[in-house]
Amino acid sequence: MSEYKPKLVCFSCKFSWGYLTDEETISSTTENWVPVICTGKIDATHMLDAFRSGADGVLILGCPEGDCHYQDGNYEAKKRVHLIRRLLESVGIEGERIRIELSLDPEGTRIPDLVEEMRNELARLGPPKSILAAEEAPQETARARGGK
Amino acid sequence: MTKPKVAICWLGGCGGCDEAVVDINEVLLRVAAAVDLVLWPVALDYKYESVKAMKKDEIVLSVVNGHVRNSEQQEIAELLREKSQLVLAFGACACLGGTPGLANLATKQDIFDWVYRDAPTVVNPNGHYPQAVSRVNGKELTLPELHGRVYALDDVIDVDYYLPGCPPPAYSIMYALSAVLENKLPPKGSTLAPHRALCDSCKRNQSKPDRMSIREIKRIHEVEADPDACFLTQGIICLGPATRDGCGEACMNINMPCRGCFGPVEGVEDGGAKFISTMASILDAESNEEVAGIIDQFIDPVGYLYRFSLPAAMLQKRRARNRVDTKEV
Repeated sequence: MSEYKPKLVCFSCKFSWGYLTDEETISSTTENWVPVICTGKIDATHMLDAFRSGADGVLILGCPEGDCHYQDGNYEAKKRVHLIRRLLESVGIEGERIRIELSLDPEGTRIPDLVEEMRNELARLGPPKSILAAEEAPQETARARGGK
Repeated sequence: MTKPKVAICWLGGCGGCDEAVVDINEVLLRVAAAVDLVLWPVALDYKYESVKAMKKDEIVLSVVNGHVRNSEQQEIAELLREKSQLVLAFGACACLGGTPGLANLATKQDIFDWVYRDAPTVVNPNGHYPQAVSRVNGKELTLPELHGRVYALDDVIDVDYYLPGCPPPAYSIMYALSAVLENKLPPKGSTLAPHRALCDSCKRNQSKPDRMSIREIKRIHEVEADPDACFLTQGIICLGPATRDGCGEACMNINMPCRGCFGPVEGVEDGGAKFISTMASILDAESNEEVAGIIDQFIDPVGYLYRFSLPAAMLQKRRARNRVDTKEV
């Protein structure tokens, strides 16, 4: 299993994370880093889309509690994360594959560290094992391929 | 003048969709007079062989209900696709996989073990399981092969139009049939139902406070629900905000919350995910403990959020092939 490299998507709010650093600098060290304006903008659809697209985990970095520029976007994101966890667990995927951290880091120096930390945690968990059979659509029958 | 040929067929369905067609009452007689029904296994004695003998595109419209779970259903779906100009996915199962799609929470092996070995009413001392091919007295007998999971119709064949519902209500069936017969169809891939959410037409919407907030989640059988108040304000999960309108509020009218049989609203792929965002916004909790305390009361989230749509859910599609979503117009 030493070959297994977990894929992680990291969303972070521009108001608290890395706004003093050039985005390209952070992007160059952190794969799949998606800066957004307010974590409240991250819909549950985006979180599930990350998993659908092959992510093994999702990390969301939002503003400190009580410090959202738009009043409560970080709380909204936190509640969504809790609900998504519950949903993931009900199909056999570990809830800790989605995490939210509400804190402040204007230079963004902690972003690669937090991503690495979570990636190590995901490596320990191994690939997600959903009970939903991820089976491709069935092959066309011989008839549809032009046979009888 | 020859009448246009129409086929009505069920795949993995309960028969409710066929019953819904019968429920258009006298209009059905007018439909029957206007079209040539070439296949309707529930009601008429026509054979698949006669469909096989037809030319490509000879059937104007195939109304297909039910999901695809086995090789026979798949073959019929492909046959009708080949012979039809238009295919209408009819009902929640054909559009989204339907309630039987919850079977995807178990593997094919789990299902066989329960049905043929472990269920308390089963007596099967020799451990016989059905086989796709078996030999009896020197003769080969075949059964359809069960697929690994439940599929929506458009996972298997190209679908032109969608009419959701469990089952679709009579007026929407008449609308769909007349749109085809009068050639007044919207663009291919459209869902023949309103674009807005159920809440937009729900009478209970008037009772909603400016800021909705809930501190506990209740299940409908645990409480006596106020028949006039919004279910969500009562803490009862109602999928109305994330579900397409057009059902005629059949559940609301008997004091049952929406369970999502009309699928997601226009432009939304995963109704369950959208409902999670809605629900998060009305949970009145701040600390992790408070949030977790409320969410712990949410029993069976996958069953609630994807009761009719699990095979079409994003979680189901994980790393599966990237299907072009024809539902978005």
